[in-house]
Amino acid sequence: MDDIKNKVDKKKYGRRTFLKRAAQTALLSAAASATGCGGLIQNSESLQLQWKEYFKKHYRLMTQQEKEETVERLERLSKIQKQVDIQVGTHKPVDGVLFGYAFNLTRCEGFMECVAACVKENNLDRQSQTQYIRIFEMEPGAMSPESGNGKYFHEVPVDHHFYMGVQCFHCENAPCIKACPTKATWKEPDGIVVVDYDWCIGCRYCMAACPYYGRRFNWNKPQVPPDEMTRNQHYLGNRIRPKGTMEKCTFCIQRTRNGRLPACVEACPTGARVFGNLLDPDSEIRFVLKHKKVFRLREDLATDPKFWYFID
Amino acid sequence: MMKNIYTYLRKLLILLGFGLLCLVADAYSEQGSFLDQIKQSAPLPKDVNQNELDQNLPRQAVKVEMKYQGGDFWTESRKDKVERYPCYACHNSKPEKSKSTGEMVHGDILLDHGGAEKPLACATCHVKDSPHFLKTAEKDNIDMDHSYDLCGQCHFRQKQDWIGGAHGKRVSNWAGKRVVKNCTACHNPHSPLFQKRWPTTYSPPISK
Repeated sequence: MDDIKNKVDKKKYGRRTFLKRAAQTALLSAAASATGCGGLIQNSESLQLQWKEYFKKHYRLMTQQEKEETVERLERLSKIQKQVDIQVGTHKPVDGVLFGYAFNLTRCEGFMECVAACVKENNLDRQSQTQYIRIFEMEPGAMSPESGNGKYFHEVPVDHHFYMGVQCFHCENAPCIKACPTKATWKEPDGIVVVDYDWCIGCRYCMAACPYYGRRFNWNKPQVPPDEMTRNQHYLGNRIRPKGTMEKCTFCIQRTRNGRLPACVEACPTGARVFGNLLDPDSEIRFVLKHKKVFRLREDLATDPKFWYFID
Repeated sequence: MMKNIYTYLRKLLILLGFGLLCLVADAYSEQGSFLDQIKQSAPLPKDVNQNELDQNLPRQAVKVEMKYQGGDFWTESRKDKVERYPCYACHNSKPEKSKSTGEMVHGDILLDHGGAEKPLACATCHVKDSPHFLKTAEKDNIDMDHSYDLCGQCHFRQKQDWIGGAHGKRVSNWAGKRVVKNCTACHNPHSPLFQKRWPTTYSPPISK
């Protein structure tokens, strides 16, 4: 009986708690000496929030309450540091939904409205000009974007060329997930491959593993003008990423989990992009798969991308 | 004698190996491709999963006369985007005050539809005596909102794709009530070909 009691008592002040408290005191005293008392009062809320953020769990291990707490902290931090009111969502996947995407090679004219809409919607870094989508200008008969021109800038469409857009294909059997050493990236039940930005250590193994060049790395702290920031955000989606983490297309998780179309689909002026639920036999995407000639990139790798190209 | 036994044994081993391979291959083929698995999955109950989703849709939507594979669908109204609608506000029994009225009001319309071989005239689609309506080869009182009937006369393949969902696009939602763009939302009916223009943005060279 005494033994058990001793054990419980020991547990109360374990190694973790000790370290936490010691570091807390050290940090607070350092901050106090560095900024003086006035600064401490101003920054103490921000510091406290950042401190708690640092010790939060992996997104998949969080309880609903913990999710709400971290969201509250992120919203408050954005308010203090950037003076921007944001709403960070943690919407769950909807049952009976598996997202799929189709791209009409006949219709795309290379206007790149989708790229601009994606940068805006997903709060992508303006400084390094990060873009999730790339449009390639292709010679007739070419099948792989490697042979296309990905940096064209002239009047489009050019005669006798077609345009091919690539982005993250949200593979069912995704190599990037297997490469991640910290399990910071995974496939959600609705088929979206997501990244927990706070669990990513920035090793870029996933970037090397992806055969489609679907992932992007934050070399610097993302620079987004506050008045251009999309305020409706998702924890796994378009919230501002920390420096040194991976990011990628999330099928606009903050929109699609609410029933809306991704930004690229909504922006497309030619209707070349089709998005929908693969499990619904009446959906547009299933119509395309049933009635059109479709193919996927690098099917030989058995990655099973949920992104089909089709020809009218 | 010993040699014979060895050859038999070898043959037996090869046969066994082959049988094993067949079994493995069979197991894999039963699993089916990813697409087969999707097709075999049970259809979802319609209303259950979409109640919680955003049902925010444009108000000016009209029901399309045809049905798509999932039943009724709607399209954006055209009438509210036509300038100077209704047409009979001008096209009535009142006399014209100037001879060039037509030129002044509709002079901006550039008709470039049908190419050089089969150019379309105004009266191909508009009813001369009652310009409020459009006409097809069969009917001549088609509402402006249902212009897809008109386009579908020649572009029947595009119409089939539009009904199914491979041509055109939904307005804002993938879920819930299906509201799609009308033909005239993207194509100018008088000169339907997309004009060449500069792209909205550009991509910097890839640096890994």
